[in-house]
Amino acid sequence: MSTLHVLSHSPFGDDRLTSCLRVIGAEDALLLSGDAVYALQPGTTPFDSLGTRGLRLFVLAEDAQARDLLTPDWAEAIDYPAFVELSIHYDKVNSWL
Amino acid sequence: MNVLNVGARAIELDKDGFLVELSDWSAEVASALATAENIELSPEHWEILELLRSFYAEFQLSPATRPLIKYTALKLGPDKGNSLHLNRLFKGTPAKLAAKLAGLPKPTNCL
Amino acid sequence: MAKSLLIISRQSPWSGPSAREALDVVLAGGAFDLPVGLLFLDDGVFQLAAKQDARALQQKDLSANLQALPMFGVDDLFVCGDSAAERGLNPKLLSLEAAQVLSAGEITALFNRYDQVITL
Repeated sequence: MSTLHVLSHSPFGDDRLTSCLRVIGAEDALLLSGDAVYALQPGTTPFDSLGTRGLRLFVLAEDAQARDLLTPDWAEAIDYPAFVELSIHYDKVNSWL
Repeated sequence: MNVLNVGARAIELDKDGFLVELSDWSAEVASALATAENIELSPEHWEILELLRSFYAEFQLSPATRPLIKYTALKLGPDKGNSLHLNRLFKGTPAKLAAKLAGLPKPTNCL
Repeated sequence: MAKSLLIISRQSPWSGPSAREALDVVLAGGAFDLPVGLLFLDDGVFQLAAKQDARALQQKDLSANLQALPMFGVDDLFVCGDSAAERGLNPKLLSLEAAQVLSAGEITALFNRYDQVITL
């Protein structure tokens, strides 16, 4: 059983990313959308914890582009059709609302 | 606005016949509400109404049918905590009707 | 076969409607006989702090409501032990005695037991 975790809130001043990283499983993946892509701001704690974690990480390309954030080589930028495919590929989707 | 007259008091009811002010409830009000539903309250009815009031005091919500059955079975035993007994007393809709007579809000999870 | 559902409640009871909405989803699931689980995570563990007083804010008493969960057929109740410890709550003194205290690894495994997960 695998889960696609979807975050859409900024990691600054919020526990979602921290908690998600605490409970995410080896078969799971994480997708950053909306303000959650601010986790890719270099030199920050969220950036470092994601970079050293080595998990399957996806980023919605347009949300990153809009915020002028580059996708590092340990993440994969995807568009909405690919997001849909991912949600089908994983057994379930957990949106951290 | 619906009004229930009990003695000299005029008691406000919502559109479904539930008390607007839960503090308006008394044994006389319960009897009057029951009369409006063509029910004459027997000791068996009263024991369920008292049970519902203690459920509400404990959990601050009105039980749906299943929790009502479970709670009744827990407190009064399986002879009374079953749908047959409760349906017979309260015309087939025990959660809704008994809550009304006991002066509780309408059960929100009565799906 | 009904799909099983895990609700993750991660907001404090006083922060807004989220905690109550999570409870409503759980109660509705229970009423439909769905296998439902409820996990308290992050600030959600504050819902289980003992001796809260809803009257001070003229609100409904969520902690009293939570006690009714076993009556609604919801027995799978879980608490994130790390969240509780970080917030200075003793997991043994929470208001929901039936709730099992889980480690992070156990929560990962918990996700795998349910068909759907909703985080509120």
